[in-house]
Amino acid sequence: MLRLRYTLFFASLLALPACNDQLDFYPHSSVSPNNTSEKDMDALLYGMYNSVQNSPGRESYIFYDLIGGELMNPSGGNQLAFINNFLRPEYSLIGNAWDGYYRALYQVNNVLASIAPFSDTQKKREINGTAHFFRAYLYYNLVTRWGGVPLLEQNTNEKVSRNSEEEVWNFIERELEAALPDAPDYVVNRYYYVNKDAVQALMARVKLARGKTQEAAALAEGLITSGRYKLDVFEKIFRKQQNTEVIFAFENLTEESSITLSTLFYTYSHTVKGSYVYKPTDDVMQNLFEANDKRKPISIDVVQGLNVINKYPSGQSGTDPFIVTRLAEMYLISAEAQGMAGLNRLNELRQARGLAALSPSSEESYLDAVLLERRRELLAEGFRWYDLVRTGKAVSTLGIEPHRQKLPLPESEIILNDQLEQNPNY
Amino acid sequence: MKLTMIFMLAALLQVSAAGYSQQINLSYTNVPLEKALNEVKKQSGYNFLYNVQMLKEAKPVNLRLKNASLIEALEQCFEGQPLTYTVNQKTVVVKRKPVAEATVAVPPTTIKGKVVDAKGEGMPGVTINLKGTTVATASAGDGSFSLQVPEGTGTLVFTFIGFQTKEVAFNGPSDLNIQLQEDNQALKEVVVVGYGQQEREDVTSAISSFKPDEQNSRPVLGPDQLIQGRMPGVNVSSGSGSPGSSTRVSIRGIGSLSASNEPLYVIDGIPVVPHNAALFNLGENMNPLSQLNPNDIESIEVLKDAASSAIYGSRATNGVIIITTKSGKQGKSNLNFDYYTGIQDVPNRHKMKMAGSDLYLEVINEGIDNYNQQFGYKLGDANYMLRKENPYPGMPDTDWFDLVTRTARTSSYNLSFSGGTEKTKVFVSGNYLDQEGTIISSEFKKYTGKVNLSHKLFNWLEVGTNSNLSYTHNSRVPGSNSGATVMARSIPQRPFDRPYKPNGEYYVGGTEDLLYHNPLHILNEEDADIENYRYLGTFFANLNLAKGLDFKTSLGLDQIYTVDKVYYNEDHPYGTGVGRLIDSRRMISNLLVENTLSYNKQFGELSFSALAGQSYQKTSNSGINIDGRGFPSTSFDVLSVAAEITEAGTSLTESALASYFGRTSFSYKDKYLLSLTFRADGSSKFAPENRFGYFPSVSAGWHISREEFFPVELMDLKLRASYGSTGNQDGISSYAYQAQMSGGRNYGYQSGIGVSTNGNRDLTWESADQFDVGVDMGFQRGKYTLTADYFVKNTNNLLYSRPTQATSGFTSITSNIGSMRNWGWEFMVGTNQAFGELTWSSDFNISFIKNKLTSLLGDEALLIGANRTLKVGEEVGSFCLYKMLGIYQTNEEIPEAFFKQGIRAGDVKYDDINNDGLINADDRQIVGTSNPNFFGGWNNTFQYKNFDLSVFLNYSQGADVYFSGRITVERLANNFFGIREEVAKERWTGPGTSNTTPRAIYGTGWNTQNSTRFLEDGSFLRLRSVILGYTLPTSFTSKIKLSRVRVYAQADNLFLWTNYSGMDPEVTSNFDPQFMGEDNLILPQLRTVNVGVNLRF
Repeated sequence: MLRLRYTLFFASLLALPACNDQLDFYPHSSVSPNNTSEKDMDALLYGMYNSVQNSPGRESYIFYDLIGGELMNPSGGNQLAFINNFLRPEYSLIGNAWDGYYRALYQVNNVLASIAPFSDTQKKREINGTAHFFRAYLYYNLVTRWGGVPLLEQNTNEKVSRNSEEEVWNFIERELEAALPDAPDYVVNRYYYVNKDAVQALMARVKLARGKTQEAAALAEGLITSGRYKLDVFEKIFRKQQNTEVIFAFENLTEESSITLSTLFYTYSHTVKGSYVYKPTDDVMQNLFEANDKRKPISIDVVQGLNVINKYPSGQSGTDPFIVTRLAEMYLISAEAQGMAGLNRLNELRQARGLAALSPSSEESYLDAVLLERRRELLAEGFRWYDLVRTGKAVSTLGIEPHRQKLPLPESEIILNDQLEQNPNY
Repeated sequence: MKLTMIFMLAALLQVSAAGYSQQINLSYTNVPLEKALNEVKKQSGYNFLYNVQMLKEAKPVNLRLKNASLIEALEQCFEGQPLTYTVNQKTVVVKRKPVAEATVAVPPTTIKGKVVDAKGEGMPGVTINLKGTTVATASAGDGSFSLQVPEGTGTLVFTFIGFQTKEVAFNGPSDLNIQLQEDNQALKEVVVVGYGQQEREDVTSAISSFKPDEQNSRPVLGPDQLIQGRMPGVNVSSGSGSPGSSTRVSIRGIGSLSASNEPLYVIDGIPVVPHNAALFNLGENMNPLSQLNPNDIESIEVLKDAASSAIYGSRATNGVIIITTKSGKQGKSNLNFDYYTGIQDVPNRHKMKMAGSDLYLEVINEGIDNYNQQFGYKLGDANYMLRKENPYPGMPDTDWFDLVTRTARTSSYNLSFSGGTEKTKVFVSGNYLDQEGTIISSEFKKYTGKVNLSHKLFNWLEVGTNSNLSYTHNSRVPGSNSGATVMARSIPQRPFDRPYKPNGEYYVGGTEDLLYHNPLHILNEEDADIENYRYLGTFFANLNLAKGLDFKTSLGLDQIYTVDKVYYNEDHPYGTGVGRLIDSRRMISNLLVENTLSYNKQFGELSFSALAGQSYQKTSNSGINIDGRGFPSTSFDVLSVAAEITEAGTSLTESALASYFGRTSFSYKDKYLLSLTFRADGSSKFAPENRFGYFPSVSAGWHISREEFFPVELMDLKLRASYGSTGNQDGISSYAYQAQMSGGRNYGYQSGIGVSTNGNRDLTWESADQFDVGVDMGFQRGKYTLTADYFVKNTNNLLYSRPTQATSGFTSITSNIGSMRNWGWEFMVGTNQAFGELTWSSDFNISFIKNKLTSLLGDEALLIGANRTLKVGEEVGSFCLYKMLGIYQTNEEIPEAFFKQGIRAGDVKYDDINNDGLINADDRQIVGTSNPNFFGGWNNTFQYKNFDLSVFLNYSQGADVYFSGRITVERLANNFFGIREEVAKERWTGPGTSNTTPRAIYGTGWNTQNSTRFLEDGSFLRLRSVILGYTLPTSFTSKIKLSRVRVYAQADNLFLWTNYSGMDPEVTSNFDPQFMGEDNLILPQLRTVNVGVNLRF
C-alpha cells in the first residue's frame, strides 16, 4: 500500500507541467513590426489605405458642410447655434478628427519608414508615391481646419509644437511634388487607388487655396483636357456605377470600413434607414437648385415629409464610396482660378448638369456664380465651409465670429501637450 | 416512553365508546383498579393500555355487573377516579382526567439559581428554558435567575453563545447552581484562507467573513451583492437595476487604476477571470457572478490585507474574495426546499417628475423669446426663432417612463440535498430562478446544478469533485450607455409627444415628431438575449503521505460559453429596413492545475504548519462575431438566411500564469502567532525579462488576554500586525508588451496590415505594499465584540492606459505611471443580547478610507475625461470641473469679456480662476470626489419564540455624484428635450428669483457645461433589507412529516434617505475608479417584496 501511495505521489509530480516554457504567447491577429519584409509591401500599402480612409472618422468627410451652413439638426433650431456648438475645444468631433488624422499620419509615416530599407523596385516607388500623396491629403485636411499644425515627417513620441500655416502649406506642395513621379500611372476605372492624376487634382486644389491661380488653372486644365475623364451623370457617380468622372475615391467597402455616411442623412422611416442625424437646411432644400438641375434628385430628396441628403444611398445596410476628387471640381477650379476667362468651363459644367449658360456682368458676380455652382455640385462632399473661409465670405455668410474661421484645437490635446497653443479666442 | 406515544396516538384517534355491548359479569369489593381492569380485559377481549404507575393513584373499586356492556363496566370502574378512558376499536386507553377536573390545582413551582462560568463568575444573559415548552427567562447581571414552571418536575435548558448547552432536571422547587463550560468547538470559528483553512483565533491577518443564512440572505443574483454593507473595508455598489447587471466591489479603497479595480474572485479554489458576461455593447456590462447560485454558498471570505492575500500574489492588490460552496456533512441527511416569489418595482419615480406640456412650453418659449430678444432677431430674419406649440392641443400628456416600466415578478425554487458518512460526503442542489426586469421585456432566467462529492477510498486517499453547472438566459434592454438607452429615451421626451400615430405606426425618433428614439419602438422590435453556459469545478485527490503530511492535486476548470444575439427586426430603427442580426459567441477556458503539500505538527507547546504549492493557470478566450443583414421576415433569425454578411471574424487570445507559493505558521502556547507567506508568479503578459514577480508577507499575533499578567477579567484580546506585498496585472491586454502589426486592415478586398500598438517592453508588475495593525476583542464571553484595523497600502508602478498626445499616432499607451496610497480605519462592533425570550444580535461596521495619488509620471496633473483628473496629492476619482458660483442677477455684474460672449443676467456664473475672460480647461478645479468619507452597514437580528426579524441598513457618506443625466433634462430651452418639473419651476426669471437654476435661453450651451451645477452629495442611508420569518412549531410540522418549516416575508430597498436629486445615488455608469459616481440616467436599484418558505424534510 505504501508503495502505491508514493507511486501515485511521484506520478503526479511528473505530471506537473513544465511551466516556464508555457508562458510565451503571441497574438493570433498580428505580427511584430520588425518582422515586415518586402513580401509584406502590398499588405502595408492596403493597410495604409484602410487607415487613411477610416481613421479620421465619419463626420470628418462632411464636416465643412456641417459648419458651412448646408446641414442642420433634424429637430430644427437655429443655424448659428448649430455651427457654434461644433466649434468648441471639448466637442468630441473636433477631438476625433484631430486624433484620426494624426493616427492615419502615423501609419503613413510608418509605411515610409518600413519600405525605406527595401530595394528600389517599381512597387516600392508606387507605394512611396501613394504615401506622399496621403501625407499631403492629411495635411490639407489639417491645415484647412486648424491652420498651422505640427509637421511630422517621422513618427515621434515627443511633445511637438505647431508649425506655421505657411510651413504646412509648403510641406503639402513638397509632398505632392514628391508623390507625382512615383505615384502609379492612370489605369482605366481604377479610381479607388491613388495615381498621378489624383496627385495633380489635389495639387490644383492646394494651389487654388493658396491663391496661385495660374498654376491651379493649369493643373485643372491638364486633367480636363487629358482625355482620360469626362463629366458623367450623378446617377453613376453616387450610385457606385462605373463612371468617367471620379479621379480618386475611397472605396469604403462595408466589410472594411465604419464610415457609414448615409446613416447620418436618412431617417428610420426611409427605406434604407438611418439615424437621421443631419438634414439639409431649408435654404438648400428650397433655394439651392433650379428646377431642371439634373443633380437635384440625386443630391437631395424628401421622404415622408422629411428632407434628406441623397448622395449616399446605402443607409444602414452598407457603406458608400467617398469621393476625394472628381472632374467637376477641376472644372470649378479652372473656372474660379481663371476669373471671367474661365466662364466657358463654368457653362460647360452647367450644361452637363442641365442648366442654361450664364453671362455674369462682373468678376464679383462671376465669382459668386462659381461659388454657388460649387455648392450645387459638391453639396455634402466636404467643401463649403473652407470655400467660404478661403474666399473671405465665412463671417458675412454664416454670421460666425471671425475667430471661428479656424477650428479650436481639441481640449484633450492641449492638456496632454503643453507645447501646443490654442487658436485665438477659444 | 413507547406507551406515551401510543397514548398520544390514541388521543388523536379518539372515538366514542358507545355501541359496544359485550356481556360482562363481575362482582368485586374493594379491589385495586388494575385487577378489575384485568378481569374486564379477559371477559371483553379488548386490549387495555395504561401506565401501571398511574393505576396506583386510583381508588379501589366495588363492582356489581351482570351481563353488562363494556361501557357499563368501564363506567363503574372509573366512577370517582382521577382517571378516565377512551375506546378505540378493540383497545381501551386509560388516561388522566383533564387538569380542570382534578380535585386540587397544582401550584406553579419556582426554580431559582445562579449560572456561573468555569471560574465561578456569574454569567448574565444566559437563556433558561423549560424543555419542551416556551417557558423561559434570562439570567440577571450577577448570573442569578428565577423561573416559574407549571409542574413540579421537568428539565431546564441553559444556553449561551460560545458555551456548551446544559440540561438540568429538577423535581419540585429547587435552587440550582449551574456551571457552564466554554464550547471550544463553537468558539473555534473556521475561516477559509488561501489554499486552506484556519481557526479564527489563529488568524493574524485582516479577513472578513460572511456566512449566508436564512436570516441574512437577500434575493440577489450574485454572491458579490450578498456582502454589500456586511464587512468593513468592502464597498459594493451596483451598476443599475437591470437584472444581471454588473456590480463594483472595492476592497480597501482604490487598489489600482486599471480596469474596474475588481478584486480576485476565487470560487472553490479556482481564480476566475474577470470579464463582462455580455459581448455586444448594449450600454451596460453584465456580471458573470450572476451565473452562480447564491443558495449554494457556504461562506464568503474577503482577504483584505497583504498577509492574507499575498499568497495570491500578482492578482491580489485589489483584495481577494474566496467563495466556498456547500459540502455534505457527516451524519445528518437533509433535504431542503426553498421557494420565494415576489415583485419588484422602480422606487423614487417622483424624483424625475417632468414638466407637463403647459409648463414645458412656457419655459421653451421663454427661452426662444430671450434668444430673439438678446440677439435682436425680428420676425422674418433668417435667425429668428418661432415659438413652439403643442401639436396635440387638448390631448393628455404621455407618461413615457410609465410606458416602458412595469411591476416585475420574481420566483426562485431551490432544492438541495446534503448528507454523508465517514467515508463519503455529498451535497447536491438545483435552482431555478425567473426574474423579470422592471423595464418591459427584460428578464433573467437561471438554472443551476451542483454536485460536491468526496470519497475516502483508503484512509490515506480521498478523491472527489466539486462541480457547478449553470445556464442563464438574459433578455436585455439597452442600458444607460447605449444610444437607445431606455431611461434617457423615455424620461426626456417632450410631454405632448406620443408613441403611436393614429394609424398605429410608431412615431420615429430623431424627427420633428419625436426628438429621441421611441423607446417602445426600440423595445418591441428588438431581441437582445445572452445565453451563458458555465461549468465551474474541480476534481481532486488527497494523499496522506505520513502523519500530518498531505499532498493534494487538483484540476480545475471554469468554462464559459456565451451566445449573445442582438436581433433588430426590419421595423427597428437599427434594423436597416431589412432586419439585422449580430451574433457573437465566446468561449472562455480557464484551466488550473494545482499541487499542494501541507504539513502539520505539534512540538510540545509549539504548533507548526506549512504549505508549499505550485500551480499553472492558462486562460484562453476565443470569439466569433458575425453581423448580417437582410431577413425575409422577422421569423427568420439565423444568419444562414441573411442576404448579406457585413462583418465576420474570429478571435483568439491566450495568457498564462505559472506560480509557486508557500506558507508557514507557528503558534506557541496559543498565545504567540507568526505566519509567513510567499508567492512567485510568472505572467505571459510581460516581456520575459520582467516576467516574474515575487510577493512575500509576514504577520504576527499576540493573545495578550491569555497572559498571566492580563488584568481584565472576561475579556479576550488579540493584537495582530502584518506587512506584505501584492501585485496586479489585471486590465492590461494579453500581449501588452509586444509591438504589433495587426492584420484585418484591408482595402479593396486585399489584406492590409498596420501598427496597432507600439508595445512597452518596460511594462512590469504593479505592486502594493500593505501594512496592517488590528485588534480583535471580546467582552463578557462574546456578548460584545470589536474588531478594529488600521492599514496603509502603497501601490507602485501603477499600470495605466495613459492618454498620450494624438500626434504620437496613438491616444493612449499602457504604462507604469506612478504610485498611490490608500489608508484608513475599519471597525466592526457586535453584540448579542437577551431580554427574556427576546434575543437581539447586532453588528455594525464602519470604514474610513482615504486615497491619494503620490506620484505620477512627469508629476503633471492629467485631466481625464470630461470631468476628472489624476493629480499628485489628490484622490483618484476627484471631480475636476468648473465651479458654479451662482447666477448673475443683473447684467451689470457680468464681466465685459463674458458679456461679449453673450452671457446675460440669469446665466451661470463660473469661477474664472485665472481671470482671462474665458471659461476653459484652465478653469477646471477639484471640487469633489467619488470616494465616500465613510461607509458601512448595520445588521440587526431579533428572535422571539418562533419569530425572527432582521433589519439591515447600509450607508455611505461624503461621496459626490455627477448627475450628468441632468444635463439632458435641465437644458431649459437650450434644446427642446423635456424638462424636470422642479427645475422648470425654479428657473431664474428676474433678479433675486434663483441663485441655483439659470434662465431659459435657447441656443447657448453656456449653462450646461460640466460644472458643479450637476455635482451632488451622494450620501445615503438605505433600508437595505427587512426579513420577518416564522418557524412553525415542530408539533405542527411533524404532523406533516417535515422536520422544519419557516415562512417569511422579505423586503429589499424599502427606503432610501438621501439629498441626492436623482433616483439612486449608488448606481454608476462607469466602474473605473477614476470615473466612478456618474449617473447618466440609470435605472435605479429596484424595490423588492418577496414571500417565501424554507422546508426541511
